[in-house]
Amino acid sequence: MKVLATYNIKGGVGKTSTAVNLAYLAAREGRRTLLWDLDPQAAATFLFRVRPRVKGGGRALVNRRRPIEAALKATDFENLALLPADFSYRNMDLELDDTKKRTRRLGQLLDSVSGEYDIVFLDCPPSVSLVSENVVAASDILLVPLIPATLSMRAFEQLTRFVSEVEGRRPEVVAFFSMADRRKRMHRDVIEAMRSNGSCVADTIVPALSVIEQMAQHRAPVPAFAPTSRAARCYEQLWAEVRPT
Amino acid sequence: MTSQVQALRAADGATLDLASVAATLADQFTVVTRPSQLIRRVRLDTFDRRLHAAELTLEHQVAGSQERLVLDGPACSSTVTVPATEPRWPVLAAGLPDGPIRTALAPVIGIRALLVVSDEKRRVRRLELHNEDDKTVARVQLDEPATATAAPPQLTVLALRGYEDLAGRALRLLTRAGLRQVDHREAHAADVQPTAGIVATSPAIELLAAQLGEFLAAMRDNLPGLLDDVDTEFLHDFRVAVRRTRSTLKLGRLALPEVMHRRWEPAFKWLGDLTTPVRDLDIYELDLPVMTTWLVAAEATDLDELAQHLRRRRSSARRAMVQGLRSARFRRLMAGWHDTLTRLAEGSQDLTGEQLSAGVLAQRSIRRAYRRVARDGAAISPESPAEHLHELRKRCKELRYALEVFAPVIENGPRKRAVADLKSLQDVLGRFQDCEVQRLALRDFAEEMMADGTPASAVLAMGELIGHLDVEQDRARERFDGAFAGFTRPSGRQRMQRLGGGR
Ligand SMILES: Nc1ncnc2c1ncn2[C@@H]1O[C@H](COP(=O)(O)OP(=O)(O)O)[C@@H](O)[C@H]1O
Ligand SMILES: [Mg+2]
Repeated sequence: MKVLATYNIKGGVGKTSTAVNLAYLAAREGRRTLLWDLDPQAAATFLFRVRPRVKGGGRALVNRRRPIEAALKATDFENLALLPADFSYRNMDLELDDTKKRTRRLGQLLDSVSGEYDIVFLDCPPSVSLVSENVVAASDILLVPLIPATLSMRAFEQLTRFVSEVEGRRPEVVAFFSMADRRKRMHRDVIEAMRSNGSCVADTIVPALSVIEQMAQHRAPVPAFAPTSRAARCYEQLWAEVRPT
Repeated sequence: MTSQVQALRAADGATLDLASVAATLADQFTVVTRPSQLIRRVRLDTFDRRLHAAELTLEHQVAGSQERLVLDGPACSSTVTVPATEPRWPVLAAGLPDGPIRTALAPVIGIRALLVVSDEKRRVRRLELHNEDDKTVARVQLDEPATATAAPPQLTVLALRGYEDLAGRALRLLTRAGLRQVDHREAHAADVQPTAGIVATSPAIELLAAQLGEFLAAMRDNLPGLLDDVDTEFLHDFRVAVRRTRSTLKLGRLALPEVMHRRWEPAFKWLGDLTTPVRDLDIYELDLPVMTTWLVAAEATDLDELAQHLRRRRSSARRAMVQGLRSARFRRLMAGWHDTLTRLAEGSQDLTGEQLSAGVLAQRSIRRAYRRVARDGAAISPESPAEHLHELRKRCKELRYALEVFAPVIENGPRKRAVADLKSLQDVLGRFQDCEVQRLALRDFAEEMMADGTPASAVLAMGELIGHLDVEQDRARERFDGAFAGFTRPSGRQRMQRLGGGR
């Protein structure tokens, strides 16, 4: 089982859109896929039309009073299950803090379903927190959407530093440009700069496309409602680049 | 992900009508009717139905330009679907697309190939049951034959993980509207045993004819897969049927007409011998992965030459075997044997032996076979040559077959325990003999390979294997006394005497 997290310290950069679309593509090619919506705002949960409710809340999951299997919801798509968000996830830091191995607990929880899934996506809240420390420790790949702006480069540097400070096994960090506008000169320059300073940046760029925004109306992944759109092709390309073998 | 399936059928005589099913469900769900799809369903299983036994189903589904493999069934925690383009059947586990289906199936099918067991065109119509968020919470599927000969229509309610209660609600609505739930077991009627109705007082010849008929059927069933070299087990099972036939002829000598002994015993010996060389080589190919782990000094790749040599030997051995199995002699054997068994079963006048009941013959045969094992086993000493242990192994097999052939007319409890006792002894003897045979054969192969100019590294690696086999053979030999003592211990002897009719 491989764990792939979409992560960025900043919000509104495309983490959820990416997690939802890539999870859909992974499932479509036959991988048994789980998406865990860790963000109390529940955007991914909403996009799959699932109610943001976990019995016993994040607390029951974290302290293992309820197995995560009991909280799983089938999505409308084959091979794709969701572990929904719950508003109580906003307190997850506190709950994790109460456990032994406080930085490893999420990974341990995922071990209990490792026989059932080939790939797990973690859609993370934008923060540096105990939850994100857990996510980093549990992941094989951190996929980082970046909006090509100087500010977001700073955030990326912070993030890389944060990852490098995590003890034990570290995930591979792969950045990609999200909502990029090739016509904007500044965007082009930033992309060049990133590449040249040796960061692992995916070749695929996901431009700013209105179809992606429409996910909220359709409440579905892009390739499900607009399979031939440019956006769908971009996500397919991105998936081909980052998918674990 | 589908987690549960419940099949339904219409009340007696009525037809399944999706529109009225939808109307019933509309009471509590938003029902969305999906366009109907023509699906070609190619059902796969091993020849011995391992998936069915494990409560799994595997289908290759083709719908339009979409092709996929679907693994499902009560033993599956959820349906697994993988895109698959033009897979070729039959296929061994290693030939399945890499991924969850292969991972799930490999331990179930083992060394057997997946074959097509049915291939039907079906029309599938689906209803999706939605909640207020327009989220699918359950599905209902009507699966109808698109051709007249296919299996009858079936309606199923598919539950989704985390929404099982809603599938339950749909099910209740439908059963209240008059549909009946199909019991999982009811779908598969039990096979009729050919020995059904045969009891201890029935004529022995009836039981023998029924069993021999079964073995002939097994030979015929396995023949096509054996000729096509689908997997190694067709040959194996074919040979088991031949061996069982030979043992039954031997065990039944008292009750069977003389021609069986004179004509058919040698005929089946020929058939057994014809198929032996390929089987021996199959065993190496199957064992080679384990043997590789024995190597200490040599590299695993040093055995590549041996693997190649085995493959070459096997293909020439197979040519000879296939030639024999396509010969007029073989055809005559099968046809003549079928004819003989038919007449035997009909009680034909020219085919009678001594009038014995099945029960009496069973007792006599088991008693005799047991005595031989006990006698020959007791005579084994540390100095006995390997040959004597080999002979004893054959005696054990005879006893084992007697316990199997006469199973319908002897007590099942003691029989099963007797087989279990015997099995431990057979395992030890089998391991001993296999080591002996493999050791000697490896020596022959090494000589042949050296004559062909094989590099020394290959031969040295084989030397390691021979050394390992030697140690294992000694170990099996050491376990013999214990295994034999276990077999002849008083409780076992009493059980055997009971099966053998007292004393
Ligand atoms: N490539 C894109 N082009 C246009 N809009 C996008 C793109 N990616 C994301 N969005 C939109 O931007 C908003 C934030 O995206 P989201 O994926 O929720 O980010 P995050 O999870 O990082 O907060 C959403 O409204 C989403 O529809
Ligand atoms: Mg988000």
